[in-house]
Amino acid sequence: MNSNKPANTFKIGVDVGGTFIDLAVVDERGRSRLYKNLSDPADLAGALVAGLEIVARDAKMTLSELLTRTETIIHGSTVATNALLTKNGAKTALVTTEGFRDVLNMRRGMRLNLYDPKQAPPDPLIPRHLIYVVEERIDCEGAEVRAVNEDGVERLVDRLTTAGIESIAVAFVFSFLNNSHEKTVATKLRESRPNIHISLSSEVLPEVRLYERISTTAVNAYVTPVLARYLESLETRLQQTGFAGQLLIMQSNGGVTGCDVGKQLGVGSILSGPAAGPVAGIRYSSLYGISNVITVDMGGTSFDVSLVKNGEIEVTKEMEIAGYRIALPLVAVHTIGAGGGSIVSVDDRGLLQVGPESAGSFPGPVCYDRGGSRPTITDADLVVGYLDADRFWGGRLHLNTEAAYEALQKQVAQPLHLEPIRAAYGAYQVVNANMVDAIREVSVRRGHDPRQFLLIAAGGAGPIHASAIARELDIPLVLVPRDASVMCAVGQLLSDLRHDFVRSYLTPLDKLDAARARSLCAEMQTKAVGTLRSEGIPREKIVLALSADVRYIGQFNEVEVPLGSDAWTAAGIEQLVGDFHRRHEALNGYRMPSAPIEIVNLRVVGTGIVDKPQIVKSASSGTQLGASPIGHRNAFFGNGFTEVLVYDGFQLPPACSINGPAIVEQSTTTVIVQPGYKLSCDDFGNYLVYREGVSLKESIAVLKRRQPE
Amino acid sequence: MLQSESLDPILLTVITNRLEGITREMGAGMLRSSRSPIFAENRDFVTAIFDRQLRLAAQTAYIPVLMGGSPYAVKAISEHFAGDVHDGDVMILNDPYRGNNHAPDISVVKPIFFDGEVRFWAFTRGHHADIGGGGAGGRNPNAKTIWEEGLRIPPARLYASGNYNRDVWELILLNVRLPVMVEGDLQCQVGACNVSERALIQLLGQYGTEPVDEAIEEILRRSEAQMRERIREIPDGVYNAERQLDHFDQQTSRRPTIRLRVQVKNQSMAFDFTGTDPQIPVFYNSSYPNTVSSCLIGVFSTIAPDIKVNDGSMRPIRVEAPEGSLVNPKEGAPTTQCTVGTCGTIVEATWLALAQAVPERAQAGWARSNAGAGTAFNPRTGRYASFILHFTKGGGGATAGFDGWSHISPVSSMGGSRVPDPELHESTFPHRILRYEYGRDTAGAGKWRGGFGACVWLLFNDDGTALSIQTGSCAEETAPFGLAGGRPARPGTIRMRLARGETIEIHEAGLYYPGKSDIVEFYSAGGGGYGDPHERPVDVVVDDVVAGTLSPEKALEDYGVVIDPETLEVDWQATATAREGRGRAARGQSPFRDAAR
Repeated sequence: MNSNKPANTFKIGVDVGGTFIDLAVVDERGRSRLYKNLSDPADLAGALVAGLEIVARDAKMTLSELLTRTETIIHGSTVATNALLTKNGAKTALVTTEGFRDVLNMRRGMRLNLYDPKQAPPDPLIPRHLIYVVEERIDCEGAEVRAVNEDGVERLVDRLTTAGIESIAVAFVFSFLNNSHEKTVATKLRESRPNIHISLSSEVLPEVRLYERISTTAVNAYVTPVLARYLESLETRLQQTGFAGQLLIMQSNGGVTGCDVGKQLGVGSILSGPAAGPVAGIRYSSLYGISNVITVDMGGTSFDVSLVKNGEIEVTKEMEIAGYRIALPLVAVHTIGAGGGSIVSVDDRGLLQVGPESAGSFPGPVCYDRGGSRPTITDADLVVGYLDADRFWGGRLHLNTEAAYEALQKQVAQPLHLEPIRAAYGAYQVVNANMVDAIREVSVRRGHDPRQFLLIAAGGAGPIHASAIARELDIPLVLVPRDASVMCAVGQLLSDLRHDFVRSYLTPLDKLDAARARSLCAEMQTKAVGTLRSEGIPREKIVLALSADVRYIGQFNEVEVPLGSDAWTAAGIEQLVGDFHRRHEALNGYRMPSAPIEIVNLRVVGTGIVDKPQIVKSASSGTQLGASPIGHRNAFFGNGFTEVLVYDGFQLPPACSINGPAIVEQSTTTVIVQPGYKLSCDDFGNYLVYREGVSLKESIAVLKRRQPE
Repeated sequence: MLQSESLDPILLTVITNRLEGITREMGAGMLRSSRSPIFAENRDFVTAIFDRQLRLAAQTAYIPVLMGGSPYAVKAISEHFAGDVHDGDVMILNDPYRGNNHAPDISVVKPIFFDGEVRFWAFTRGHHADIGGGGAGGRNPNAKTIWEEGLRIPPARLYASGNYNRDVWELILLNVRLPVMVEGDLQCQVGACNVSERALIQLLGQYGTEPVDEAIEEILRRSEAQMRERIREIPDGVYNAERQLDHFDQQTSRRPTIRLRVQVKNQSMAFDFTGTDPQIPVFYNSSYPNTVSSCLIGVFSTIAPDIKVNDGSMRPIRVEAPEGSLVNPKEGAPTTQCTVGTCGTIVEATWLALAQAVPERAQAGWARSNAGAGTAFNPRTGRYASFILHFTKGGGGATAGFDGWSHISPVSSMGGSRVPDPELHESTFPHRILRYEYGRDTAGAGKWRGGFGACVWLLFNDDGTALSIQTGSCAEETAPFGLAGGRPARPGTIRMRLARGETIEIHEAGLYYPGKSDIVEFYSAGGGGYGDPHERPVDVVVDDVVAGTLSPEKALEDYGVVIDPETLEVDWQATATAREGRGRAARGQSPFRDAAR
């Protein structure tokens, strides 16, 4: 941190989910404190303020004292996500080109579950009677074929008013090439309904592909008013309590943005929480000079995986959330239903299955004694001895081992003719296999070799399973952050401001108009700088990255190629061609040097670099090497029960080394060290798990050495 | 649940999931690296792993009709090269008379060696952008024999012991119009096989050959048991049905007909096509593997949507198809349309037959493909390109408890194929899309109604397009049928409005050459309805009227709901009267037998 900061200033990362609210607070000297509290889905702003009150109490301050000294709150919120998942968004209408009324609900004529006749399509986000058409048309070169029928728009305004519409998406064919028609309609609408939210597809996602653009714009129109209302009420509440700093919103693209953008582009915060995971992953791995990372976060109901290659977060435009297509760049978080609450069952083939059904936090696992009757992964972890009945969640919840055992025996072991302990361990193995498959999805299936990645394991349940997963994938090193259970809140503190811009410019490279390309880029750069400046970022802290989506003519998937500052000179274009062939080969295994190339989109990412808290060495830093166990218990490791030593994570000295099998416990996390693995603690209080027979140094060196070009 | 003594149930789950995961890995590679929109956009391919006994062990079917016949291709290749199979070989096949389904779907197969022995066969099959021949967009409605449809490739090696077999590649690429695209797609099929090879060798190394063999044996056994259990729920008996093709034979003045007799007995099902019309000199003839695949779609989509498609689950199903008939032609008959038009006709017959046995599980008819494929020169880009008009996807049929899906057909893809993007399409081809939306009153009425069909108008900017049109569900006899009192959907139509003023109604597949300023209009059918329309709740009927997909006139005629066309208010009394009178008349019939006749 800069030394000229006043004393006692704070930065707060806060991740508000449906079950928990996680807070990470860092002071001007970089010292951090972490908090986990129950959330209140009915009043998220209230839960957030309640969380801040806990922080204040802990710092022996009033809430107002804390907030007066807080310069930034970075907020990961599920408001937009929940509005979409629970269909509680604004009453939204869509205005589109005549002749194309059903593109949104046709969903490109697909369904995922092919054979099943007993299924209904996802509920339309905007039902057909609220989809209105306007006579107008732009062609594939951006030329006007049919002018906007102004009388039709007048009639439309009347109908929207009668229908009680709160939000409007406007999305016309080829508007990304010529947005004048969308603008005309927006102006008319604003004249008569000045307070209504309007999303234009040429602003939300000015990019080729009609369904994807319409759907993204529709989702934006649907969630934005809800998010805007929430942000306004939160801002007011915080300001009333003395907060004069900046409230930033975590975005799905792995960056943060000011509230003003959040109030216009709600779709951008749809993955607000999990997107911060890989940001934190980059920071932890940078402690060791490693830039290839897979972060996994295993909570109560889901397992989120994302991948960082060469220090860059993997971003995708292929995401669907709850069946609704969002084509904005989102951090590629792959989620499967595998968490502590995932249900263990036997299917009618006689195969043991885990999830995707979850007992959630209510009724929860059988061992919670809150009425849950179906065995879960937490029950299995308890029966095999990985969890302690008395020390779970810092002793705040006593677990009922007998009930868990009985449920596993009746519902899993008996149908499989297995010993109950074998069934429990089997559930552990099957959920591990499912998670391994999810990691393969983001690595092997996208062309990355997981053996070249550091695995960062977070979430309450992640570190129980991490070393077993690493073994399956032959991953040499696992890092469990000290703050594993609130990693996303930490990631929010580490996130830069980020805005993505895109302009479609479909042209064969040999017909490229360099002046046009240059002006499209310049337009986006100006916009990026303007937005970041308005969010208080000085020009020297703004970084602009240019890229182009390029492909062989006739291909339907592009390769994104980064561009230099001389992008549109002859030398720059030559560089682009060379880079494209190289990237294509790296990604797809072949190149076609003589095949013609075309550009599809131009992109600018504007990043506003913010000061980040340092990760400071833990206070207990010293020379002591020995680790003394706090106890022992029986735990099952494949061949039978073994008595293993149990350590208190907070008391482990740095540079200690523990041989597996062993258990390291913290209040909200348990680390299982599988046989054949070792655990060390680093200077920052993080745990490193690696293979026996290989030194920690070597394990780190392997990952550093393997950094590909 | 029976258990094999030695087998670890956990290992069984892990190996089963792993094999399926590998087939998805293969598909991901193909989606990512394909040069053809038919792979990358439409996902028109499948991936699979066969064990060393040539049994289908695991698969991912992006397009189901390409999968069911896959064992015949792998068997044909393995038999052809018996005693002459080497590590590093990659084989190709497209001939429907040598085990393939039809010529445009090329099969690429690789034997996977471990410890010097073949342990697996990796399989991919995908629809190629061109296969030569005399049609447009890969389809030749004028072909009287297979030789006019395109290149026939017998089992051959693309790679021999790891070496590029240049002669075979050059022979193939010289005979197709889009060699760069076909070469790229073949390479990405080879790549998918290589991807599976790496993963399978790792699997065998990790668990050993015997446990993997045992696991496959066991999972196939369990899938078979699962399927037999489902078949047991169908009352034993014989169920007959017949359906006609969307082709009118001018000489006989009738539509060629597929006749099916399904016998359910001893937990197995026999599909017997005896009595089906003879093969015809038009591209509808269905190769035997395609006929089997179509029957499997009928079975899985009715009683086993959740059961894995593998050798085990296929065992209880037998298909008899007389040689020389439409469903098992003798060598030489053209077959390109079998994966779409004829597959749809066969699946409809299976559904109608099974509807007599398990009505609550059956679904009403889906729209057949009523579309076009073509090749065009675009003066704006200066290039030739081929397209398939998936924009015209029609409606799916309703079933007890659920309306049909809209814009989802044909049944051969079951909703697995993806419609191209209209903007990319207009940027590539010399026509503009004037309309691409649901057609009003297309859905077959019912307590649960069919899905909506599409209405697609294309305006041609220039001359230079050859358009191969195929009609589907375009006649009363071929329109999607209703079930259990549900109504059939209205037949689809296709017409050309020529710039010079003339309108041509198109009733038969054929080659057309639309010129500058001509318009071609496609109206695909919706899906058939299920159950008495008068039992559909009034407010749900009103929803469709408000949405504009159902006219007030049809609301009255089909559903007995009286709605003011201006205010869209329901006249409840008039509705009660209308429903009272018609509801009674509709009861007491046996709709399944009617529809099946």
